[in-house]
Amino acid sequence: MAIVRTKTQWFLIALGLVFFVTLGLFLPDDWVVWLIMLGIYAIAVLGLHILTGLCGQFSMGQAAFMAVGAYTAAVLSSRYGLSPWATLPLAGLFAGLVGLIFATPALRIKGFYLVMSTIAAQFIIVWILKEWRTWTGGVFGIAVPAIEVGGRKLGLAGSYVGYWWLTLGLLVLILILAKNIQRTTTGRRFVAVRDNDLAAEVIGVNLFRTKLVAFFIGCFFAGIAGWLWAHFYTHITPDQFTFKDSLWFLGMIIVGGMGSTTGAIFGVTLIRLTDKTVDYLSQILSNAFPSLSTQVPFSLPLIVFALVVIFFILVEPRGLYHRFQRLQLYYRLHPFAY
Amino acid sequence: MVLNLAYGEMIAILSYFLYWLLTSQGLPLGLAILLMFVAGAGMGFLLERSFIRPLIGQPFLALLMMTLMLMFLFKGILVLIWGGESFSYDFAPGGIIEFAGVSVLPAPLWAFGAAIFIFLLLTLLFRYTKIGLAMRVVAADHAVSQSLGIKVKQIFSLSWVISGALAAICGILLGLVQMVTPEMGDIGLGKGLVVVLLGGMNSIPGALVGGLTLGVAEALGGFYWTDVREIVPWVLMLLILIVRPWGLFGERRIERI
Repeated sequence: MAIVRTKTQWFLIALGLVFFVTLGLFLPDDWVVWLIMLGIYAIAVLGLHILTGLCGQFSMGQAAFMAVGAYTAAVLSSRYGLSPWATLPLAGLFAGLVGLIFATPALRIKGFYLVMSTIAAQFIIVWILKEWRTWTGGVFGIAVPAIEVGGRKLGLAGSYVGYWWLTLGLLVLILILAKNIQRTTTGRRFVAVRDNDLAAEVIGVNLFRTKLVAFFIGCFFAGIAGWLWAHFYTHITPDQFTFKDSLWFLGMIIVGGMGSTTGAIFGVTLIRLTDKTVDYLSQILSNAFPSLSTQVPFSLPLIVFALVVIFFILVEPRGLYHRFQRLQLYYRLHPFAY
Repeated sequence: MVLNLAYGEMIAILSYFLYWLLTSQGLPLGLAILLMFVAGAGMGFLLERSFIRPLIGQPFLALLMMTLMLMFLFKGILVLIWGGESFSYDFAPGGIIEFAGVSVLPAPLWAFGAAIFIFLLLTLLFRYTKIGLAMRVVAADHAVSQSLGIKVKQIFSLSWVISGALAAICGILLGLVQMVTPEMGDIGLGKGLVVVLLGGMNSIPGALVGGLTLGVAEALGGFYWTDVREIVPWVLMLLILIVRPWGLFGERRIERI
């Protein structure tokens, strides 16, 4: 069965795309930046979905792999003068390869211990980026040339809306890729490894190879997200990719629903919306309580994010997408119960 | 079995609480420490009741995510209430003790002594008391412990209360050894996790050996190039995970379908 089956679905997709494309033209600048960040995080979270949601290998290092992609793009562009379009696949490739390196412990360990090794990966990769000063500029970071299309710069240096269209295009491509990967043999192998890896091994799934491929694809997507990040901000530092960001991504798939691409998108949207709301709230609270103004912007996002994810873990561990599916079911079956 | 990654932040919050009791409320030292102890135990109890107990049947990774979110929550509350200020305790001992040609600061020495004492206490608890034995049975198999007449949920509560009280002790000692800063909770994740994995998750002597190993490795690593100090715990953790995931003294997990 095709992913898009009826003409109505095609029409709605086209409508949705037109909506998102024109949305960028009418929103104020800070909302367009919000949309761009939504797109970038969505690509990284789709990578995490393949790794964690489909294959069951919880990864707490996704931000570090994003950093690898970003730094690959930066170093190749500024030192070797490669065009941004050439660095795009290379950023994904390098991030995937680094992911493979940290996936090799998967030969011997599984589950909880693999999670710990991804935490180690997060800290080790960022430390290497900080220490390798001749290549990466250390703590001060590295500048990235902006993308130019038809003479106009995109991103922070130029047109925000143009960058949003670039992000949207990449996001749609990655979404199609992710949805299709789920339906191939490899995708089924991922799900088999997640659900019961001993049984999967018994029926002939090569565990090690499957986990490696999952890590490669997940980190490839993270690398692409990193490329987008680097070219938007035009200056990257290791401090932009912390353990906290990795946990943000994990929170997004938990909140959205772990086994589905739509769930990943739901999760990213919900968490980004709460982050934006918390920004507004922080401003209001800072003005109301001036003595707290230095502390609120740092602590409030942490508290609200933690409460939202805790709420979902306790109340709906299967995520927002599961609730949405129940709603669809109710709507379809009403007034019947089944 | 629950791996509590929020432990570092629990220690931090209790430290700040003690500081607040000492300065804003002006309580005498003994009373403040007692209150902090009670607060730690109470905090452990409340955490277990509200956040851990609803997750009893769920896979281990759900609990892990819960404790990670609690880590954020505590860090946020800490910074919100006390801001970025760092403090040091007034009752911190000063001076240097010299013996055997080595000069040592008194505060880490106290901490070392307290750690040894607590290790001995815990070992005695788990080996010789009924409660300790009950805890070990519950850690091994819930069904068996229930058939033995042990109230599993009570044991959960008790373990969290004990861990909260220990967090209070840890908070005092950490505040003495280093200053009370907003980042003091981060070592719970960075070093505590590594020590527990090095030593093996079920073993107390393993934790001691792991801690000493980590300390020595850090000191050696930092001798040649100071920046290496921060990465030594993580590299050590990666090594132990590759070579011997269940730790030096841990129990190997045998998986059956």
